[in-house]
Amino acid sequence: MATTSQDCSMDAAQAELLAKVQPAELHEQALVTNNRDFNWVTDKICRIVETKTPTWWWICMAVALMTASFTGVGLLWLVSSGVGVWGLANPINWGWAIVNFVFWIGIGHAGTLISAVLCLLKQGWRTSINRAAEAMTIFAVVCAGIFPLFHVGRVWFAWWLFPIPNSNGIWPQFRSPLEWDVFAVSTYGTVSVLFWYMGMIPDLGVLRDRAVQRLTKGAYEGAGVLAKGMDIFRKNFYAILAMGWRNAGNHWRNYEMAYLILAGISTPLVLSVHTIVSFDFALAVLPGWHTTIFPPYFVAGAIFSGFGMVLTLMLPLRALYGLHDLITQRHIDNMCKICLGTGSIVGYAYIMEFFIAWYGANPYESFAFINRAFGQYWWAYVMMFSCNVFTPQLFWFKKVRANAALVWIMSIFINVGMWFERFVITVTSLANDFLPSSWGYYSPTMVDILTFFGTFGLFSVLFLLFLRFLPLMPIAEVKFVMPQADPHGHHGDEKGDHN
Amino acid sequence: MSSDTSNSKGSNVGLIALVVGIVGIVIALFGFKQGLDNNDARPLMSWLIGIGFWISIAIGMLFLTQIWYVFHARWPVIIRRQCEHFMAAFPYLLVLFLPLLAVVLFHDNPGILWKWMNGTNALPGHGTVGEDAIYQWKQPFLNIEFFTIRVFMIFGVFILISGLLRKFSFDTDKTGDIKNTHKARVLSSLGLFLCAVAMTMGAIDWFKSLEYHWFSTMYGVWFFAACMRAALASIIILTVILAAKGYLKGILKQAHRYDIGCMMLAFTVFWAYISFSQYFLIYNANIPEETFWYNLREQNFDGTTNSWWWVSMGLIFGHFLTPFLCLLWYKTKVVIWRTVAISTWILAFHILDLYWNIVPGKLVNPDPHAAGYLVRQFSISPYDIAALVGIGGICIFAMCRSMKKAEPIPIRDPNILTSLNYTE
Repeated sequence: MATTSQDCSMDAAQAELLAKVQPAELHEQALVTNNRDFNWVTDKICRIVETKTPTWWWICMAVALMTASFTGVGLLWLVSSGVGVWGLANPINWGWAIVNFVFWIGIGHAGTLISAVLCLLKQGWRTSINRAAEAMTIFAVVCAGIFPLFHVGRVWFAWWLFPIPNSNGIWPQFRSPLEWDVFAVSTYGTVSVLFWYMGMIPDLGVLRDRAVQRLTKGAYEGAGVLAKGMDIFRKNFYAILAMGWRNAGNHWRNYEMAYLILAGISTPLVLSVHTIVSFDFALAVLPGWHTTIFPPYFVAGAIFSGFGMVLTLMLPLRALYGLHDLITQRHIDNMCKICLGTGSIVGYAYIMEFFIAWYGANPYESFAFINRAFGQYWWAYVMMFSCNVFTPQLFWFKKVRANAALVWIMSIFINVGMWFERFVITVTSLANDFLPSSWGYYSPTMVDILTFFGTFGLFSVLFLLFLRFLPLMPIAEVKFVMPQADPHGHHGDEKGDHN
Repeated sequence: MSSDTSNSKGSNVGLIALVVGIVGIVIALFGFKQGLDNNDARPLMSWLIGIGFWISIAIGMLFLTQIWYVFHARWPVIIRRQCEHFMAAFPYLLVLFLPLLAVVLFHDNPGILWKWMNGTNALPGHGTVGEDAIYQWKQPFLNIEFFTIRVFMIFGVFILISGLLRKFSFDTDKTGDIKNTHKARVLSSLGLFLCAVAMTMGAIDWFKSLEYHWFSTMYGVWFFAACMRAALASIIILTVILAAKGYLKGILKQAHRYDIGCMMLAFTVFWAYISFSQYFLIYNANIPEETFWYNLREQNFDGTTNSWWWVSMGLIFGHFLTPFLCLLWYKTKVVIWRTVAISTWILAFHILDLYWNIVPGKLVNPDPHAAGYLVRQFSISPYDIAALVGIGGICIFAMCRSMKKAEPIPIRDPNILTSLNYTE
C-alpha cells in the first residue's frame, strides 16, 4: 500500500504494520449511477431548461398562480381593513402570522445547511440537491417575510423597522428580538441569494455556450423560428447572468475560494437566524416560552423541516425529469437519516422541556406543559408529537427509505408536524396565561387561512420559474463526485465510493 | 501491538500510569476521608471534579466514535482506534465513582456532597431540606434509591455501547468481516440516542442537582459541548504523543490534525453558543428562581464581587475567546507544538469550567443572627490535583492495557486506506 510523502519518516515496526493493512471490501452506491458520463450529466441538466415547456409545468403554474392569488386577496383585505380581520384577540395577540413566519423561515434552513455546512464537511452527496434546496430557501424566506411585514399593521411604515432617521424621531427598539429578526433574516436572505447566484455562474455559462453553439451551427430545420428566437433570448439572458464566465483556470480558482468563504460566512447564519427566531419566544417570561434549550432546539427543528421540504420537492422532480441516476437512493437515504436525527433531537427537546417543567417545581410552568398536552389544544400537541417524533422513526427501516412514495408522504407529515409545533408553542402559552379570567380560544379567520394557503402558491410559482429558467443542479460539482473523477481510478465501477 | 519495542514502551507507560494513579487516588481518598470526618463537601468535590473531567473525555470520544460511524466518515479511522482504546476506561470510572456512591448509601450523612440527600441538612433561610417545599416536589426524582439506579444505568449504557463498539472494531482486525462495520454503524445510530439520554441524566444528577433548586433545559447540551471539546483536545495530545513515541509515527498526518483542529474550532463556538444562550435567556428573563445560580457565580450575599466573577471572566476570555481566535489560524491547527498548546489550554479551562459548575454553592451562614448565606469560594485544593492525576492515571492505565489487545490502527477497516492516505 502507499502513503503520502508527508510525515513519512517511519521505522521498521510501522512499515511492518502498514504491510498488514488489508481493508475489508465495502459496497456503497456511487453518487451518480448507471455509469453515466460527463456529457450525459451536462445534457441532462441543461435540457430541463432547454426543451419545450412540459404540459404539467403549465398546469402546475396555473394552479400555483391561482393559489398565490389567495395571499394577494388576503393581504389586500388586511391592508384595507386593518389587522383586526385576523383572528387575534386578547390574550392571543400572536396567531397564525407568527406561526407561518417561523414555519417558512424554518423551511429556509435546509438550503444554507446543505450548501454551507455540508460543503465544509466535505459531503459529496450534497451536489445533486444543493441548488434546488438553496432556491427553496430563498423562496421560503420570501414567503416568511410577508407575515411580519403585514403584521406591523400599516405596512407602508414597515421601513421604520430599519434604523433610518425620520421626521417623527421614531427609532427601533433595539432590545426587542423582533428587531433582531429584521437584521438576522435580511442578512440570511442576502447571503443566501449571493450563495445561490454565485454557485450558478458556471452553469449559466454552460447554458449560454450551448445556445451559442446551436446558433452557430444553425441546426433549426423543422424546429421553426421560435426555437431560434428562444436561443437568441437564452444567449443574451444567460450571457448577462454569467458575467463573462469563460471556464478559465483563474475563474475556477476565484470561484472555489469565494465559495469556501461564503460557506464559512453562511455557517454561523444557519445557527443565528433560528436562534434569534427562538428568542422571539424565549426572551419573554411566559411559561412554555421561557426555556433555555430553545435556541438549539429551534435550529434542529428548522433543519428537520427544511429537509422535509427538500424531500417533498425533490422526489416528484426526480420522477418527472427522470433524475434517478443523479438523485440516487443513497441521497434519499441520507436525507431520511438527517430527518430521523434532527426529528429525534426535537423529540429530546420536547421531553426535556416537559421534564424540566416538572423538575423546576414552578406550578405555572408545569401547568403550561400539562395544558399543552391535555388542554384545549391537545389535538395540536398530538399532531406535533406524532408527526415530528414518531413519523421519522420509520426511517430506521431500509424498506421505508426505499419506498419513494412513502418517503414523500412522510415528508408531508414532517411539514405538517413542524407547522403544528409552532402553533402549539405560540398559541397554547398565550391562550392560557397567568390570568384565568382572560383565557381565550384562538380560531383563525378566513383571511388568515387564505393568506397562509396562498403562500404555498407563491412558493410554487417561484420554484416553477426556477425550474424552467435556471440550472437545477451544479453541473461541475456533480461531475466531481462521479466515479470518473476519482484520481484513484475505478472507472465505471458501480460499487466504488468516491466522495 | 505490532512491535516488541512499542509493546514494552506501552507496558512501561501503563505501569507508570497505574502507580501514579494509585498514589493520586490514595491522597485524594485521604482528603475524601477528611471531608467525611469534618462534614466538608469540598474534598468530595475534588473527587467529583476528577471523575467529571476524565468521564467527559471518555463520553466525548464515545460520541465522536459513534458520529463518525453514523456519517460513514473515512478520514478519522486511525484516530477512532485511539478513542476506542481510551473508552476502555469506562468500567474503571464506574469503580472510581463507587466511593461517592458509598457515601450516599452508607454514611450517616449521605448529603455531604449532594445536600438534598439528607433531609436534616440546613438550608440558608429555608429551614431544612426535608421541610423544603421544592425538595418535596422533586423527591420522586431526587431520592437516593433512584439516584443509585441511575448511576448504574448511566454507566451501564456507556460501558455496554463502548464495549460493543470496541469489540466490533477489534474483531474486524482479525477477520476482516464487513458485517462488523455494519453492526457498529447500526449500534452507533441507536447508541447516540441512549448516550444522549445517559449523558443528560449524568449532568443533571451529578452537577446540576448540587444546587437542586436550580433548573435549565439547556444543561445536558452544555455538558455535551464540554465533553466534545475535552475529547477533541485530548485526541490531539494523545495522537501527537503516540506519533512522537513511535506508535503512530508516519501514520498520523498533518491533515488529521487539521481536521481535528477544525472540529475544535467548531465546538469552541458551539460551547460558547450554548453557554451564552443559557446565560442570556436567564439574565434577560430575570426570574430569581433561575438567576440565583448565576448570582452565586458573581457576587456574595451582600452584593460584593466574589472570586467566581474572575473565574467567569476567565471562562469567557480563556475558554472561548482565546481558543476561538487562535484556532482561526491555519497554523494553530497543524503545527504540532501549537496544536498541543491550544489543546492543553482548552483542557485546563475545561477543568475550570467544571469547577465553575460544581464548586460554588450556598453555605449556611455560621452566624445565626446574620441574614443571608455564604458562597463557597474558588480555590484549588491539593486533593483536586490528586484526584485529577489519580483518576487520570487509572484511565491511562486502562488505555495502555487496551492498546496491547489490538493493532495501533484498524488494519482491516474498509476505510483504512482513505484514512492513511488522507491529505488536506
